[in-house]
Amino acid sequence: MAASVALRIDLPMARMASPVTFADGVREHQDEVYGVALRITGDREAALDVASSTFLKAYRAFDRYDQTRPLRHWLLRIATNEAITYVRKRGRELRRRVEVEHATTLADPTALPDAESVAREDRARIRAAVSLLPELYRVVIVLRYFNDLSVDEIAQVTKRPASTVGVQLLRGRALLRSALEAGR
Amino acid sequence: MRSDRQDDDLFDETRLRRALRLEVAELPSRFDVAAIAARARADGAAFAAASLASTAFAGVAAAGLVGLVVAALPVVAPAVASDLFTAAIETLTRVAVPASALLSLAEQPTVPIAALAALAVAIVHEYTLRREPVREVTS
Repeated sequence: MAASVALRIDLPMARMASPVTFADGVREHQDEVYGVALRITGDREAALDVASSTFLKAYRAFDRYDQTRPLRHWLLRIATNEAITYVRKRGRELRRRVEVEHATTLADPTALPDAESVAREDRARIRAAVSLLPELYRVVIVLRYFNDLSVDEIAQVTKRPASTVGVQLLRGRALLRSALEAGR
Repeated sequence: MRSDRQDDDLFDETRLRRALRLEVAELPSRFDVAAIAARARADGAAFAAASLASTAFAGVAAAGLVGLVVAALPVVAPAVASDLFTAAIETLTRVAVPASALLSLAEQPTVPIAALAALAVAIVHEYTLRREPVREVTS
């Protein structure tokens, strides 16, 4: 009992002793923020824009950020929202659909498939299938399998109930599986 | 069956994780924290200027509107006040006619209000007493 109380008190005090700076946050999480943006938007330029605006917003709001909560989740929430806004605003869905279909037909059928090219093709097919998922499922799938967040953490980031996230993960995976099987 | 499904899920998860992982070629160049801070400051200044301009515009517009109202009030007020007064009197008259009839009825010594109230209480009481045996029979 006493240990748990001490732990509860120590955590914020440790935070206060060495508060996370904005520069630390950017350094530590930039790949993850860029990655989540890339996997949601499916476009490198868009991902760079989203990551930049994420860090810009985080910089402006950094003094309001509750330091007792993980910085990673806060940044991922901003990045996810920015990516969703970007996708909606630019109407990327339709354009990307064409690009993905084009990209999946690029493989040379006469080339002998070695292990590496099979693996690359598999990755490309899965990424294409993920990028075609409805936004609702794509976000949870990316947060789960790219960012390795637990269901509860995804619920915190997306502000959806954990039970909803669980259902959306199942449904998203089922959609992916059927999309991949249909593409075989 | 169940273990097959679990294996399938595990396979899917591993495959998904591997496929979504960032490759070295995909990694972006480092984000420049100083540039982010500078842009935030510049945007902040631009935002402050824009909000100052919009506040000033809104202030001028509000002042114009208030001036217009103040200028128009002496001209419009007598007519509006007269209309309002007339409407109020008409409403009062409409309410007063039936109300006075009711009041005069209540003042009549031949209609004792207390007797009517006692009758209503008696009816309610009787109704309650009659319902009791019905409940007993049905239960």
